[in-house]
Amino acid sequence: MESLANVALGFEAALQPVNLLACFVGVFIGTLVGVLPGIGPVSAMSLLLPITLTGSPATGIIMMAGIYYGSMYGGSTTSILVNIPGEAASVVTCLDGHQMAKQGRAGPALGIAALGSFVAGTFALVALMLVAPTLAGWAVAFGPADYFSLMVLALTVLTFLTQGSMPKALLMAGVGAVLGLIGLDSITAQPRLTFDRLELYDGIGLVPVVMGLFGIAEILHNLERPLARDIVQARLTQLWPGRADWKASAGPMARGTLLGFFLGILPGGGAVIASFASYALEKRLSPHPERFGRGAIEGVAGPEAANNAAAGGAFIPLMTLGIPPNVVMALLLGAFVIHGLQPGPLLMTQNPALFWAIIVSMYLGNIMLLVLNLPLVGLWAQLLRVPYNVLFPLIVLLSIVGVYCSSNNVFDVYVMIGFGILGYLMRKTGYEPAPLVLAFVLGPLLENNLRKALILSQGDLSTFVSRPISAVCLAFAALLLIAPLLPSLRRKRDAVALDESA
Amino acid sequence: MAAPRVPAAPRGGADVWAGLFWLAVSLGVVWAGRDLGIGEVAAPGSGFLLFWAGLMMSGFSLAILWTAVTAGGPGLAALWAGARWQKVVLTVASLAAYAALLDRLGFLLATIPLMLVLLRGIDPVRWRIALPVAALSTVGLWWVLKRLLLIQLPAGAFGIG
Repeated sequence: MESLANVALGFEAALQPVNLLACFVGVFIGTLVGVLPGIGPVSAMSLLLPITLTGSPATGIIMMAGIYYGSMYGGSTTSILVNIPGEAASVVTCLDGHQMAKQGRAGPALGIAALGSFVAGTFALVALMLVAPTLAGWAVAFGPADYFSLMVLALTVLTFLTQGSMPKALLMAGVGAVLGLIGLDSITAQPRLTFDRLELYDGIGLVPVVMGLFGIAEILHNLERPLARDIVQARLTQLWPGRADWKASAGPMARGTLLGFFLGILPGGGAVIASFASYALEKRLSPHPERFGRGAIEGVAGPEAANNAAAGGAFIPLMTLGIPPNVVMALLLGAFVIHGLQPGPLLMTQNPALFWAIIVSMYLGNIMLLVLNLPLVGLWAQLLRVPYNVLFPLIVLLSIVGVYCSSNNVFDVYVMIGFGILGYLMRKTGYEPAPLVLAFVLGPLLENNLRKALILSQGDLSTFVSRPISAVCLAFAALLLIAPLLPSLRRKRDAVALDESA
Repeated sequence: MAAPRVPAAPRGGADVWAGLFWLAVSLGVVWAGRDLGIGEVAAPGSGFLLFWAGLMMSGFSLAILWTAVTAGGPGLAALWAGARWQKVVLTVASLAAYAALLDRLGFLLATIPLMLVLLRGIDPVRWRIALPVAALSTVGLWWVLKRLLLIQLPAGAFGIG
């Protein structure tokens, strides 16, 4: 009964006109961002973070969440029609989706992607409603040592799953944590790494760092070579999949939903891993694996369901523990903090209207996305014809404005340019930005919990292994750190390692 | 007669330079942590995490350097082979110039030229498209931010914008 009352409370708040508008704007921008190659959800969310400050916390966070799951929907359109993933989670949709489009079946491919996303997104939200209160109840018992170990695990999983060299990913996590500590020490108020610059006393802003590493770096990278686009020119008809398509897709959709949801909950996991894992699973289960990569609808339905279910599942660690499992959730945590809120086990009891409004708005957003994606797919396809040499100056302009508005200070524009150059050079030399950004957000929380745990235990390091949750997290993290040293496990890591940066 | 020995090409050039750069940064972090005060395990100081994070980063940098030296990899020049690096340099230079001029010229007077440089200088867009795109996007955004969302933008010495 209490859950139903909470859901009713959420509906009351989410159905307010301003929140409905925020939800619509969020999913619309998210779909747009997903459709347009060269700007991902991370860039778009950081771009719009300052704008969300003008409204109430609920309105701002509803819009930010909308951008995230909207981009998951929109990303499939470019994958299918242009063979360029709009965002990283749609990479795998290119394999069969574009082949279907080339065979004149773009409509059913887009249709099943949108419907699969809707089914999975809806399941993830219902599961979130059921799981979040229970998990939040457990999380109240977490101590500083548990939080510290959980954050170590989140960073380790992300570095383990990041493409390329593990020492490079771990180094980036270290760099991110150090950058996050710039500014006044939260306990002693001592300035750290500020170089006597007043602008650095409050630390480096999340928005310029993310816009630089993801937005500007991506543009600089794209400018090196002309983007080739193989747009399917055929008219889009018959979006609703036929009976045979439904029959072939039902199983992959259900499996992708469950797999994606659980992978989304795991710290360091996310939509990208979920989509690849679902594709691999469907290929393995299929009696005709040779059809995969040649236009099998199962190769679209499973991964699309998985990446949307993961996007929903990723909200669980953020909303119940206050720990972002991936970069996008780290940005959302930033939005909560800017609005003076701390997501975690107490959010649900201290601010139930806000918590449930966000959850319910996500459900409403899923319905809006279905309406946006099916009838407007032709419009999205037209957008793909905007040439990149016209598009990228507009993205640069939005980035500059977003960064400037976040602090009203040109210093942050310099920070963005600096991180843009750093991000570009990092891409060149094989360093992934995702662990850096997650560690940048987690750094101050990690330090705070580490110092609290050490002070409370009077310097007894065994506190990290004597508490069961902390011990399990650290053991799992240690296992992942050792794994790349073993050849068989290294091969498995290479197979699942992904680029989460897009 | 034995063929003259050709000096071996530098192995893993890019990774070696990157590794050395990050090693220097890591050692700087260790030094900064020590300078701030590491404290004790029971009472960690402001530099506690910086010091230990710096040490770990140094270890990872050394691992990267070791791999670069033993396994090899592309040299720095190879990373830019066939790339249009001039476009990248021009974009970065335009952005840096824009940041330097933004407060002095104001949002409108600084942004329209930046947009024109990016539209015409990188992969040239025809003037009849570049001019309206630069003007309309800048003025449109300025109007939305300044008038609709009441967000302050720099007006510059001329007070325009």
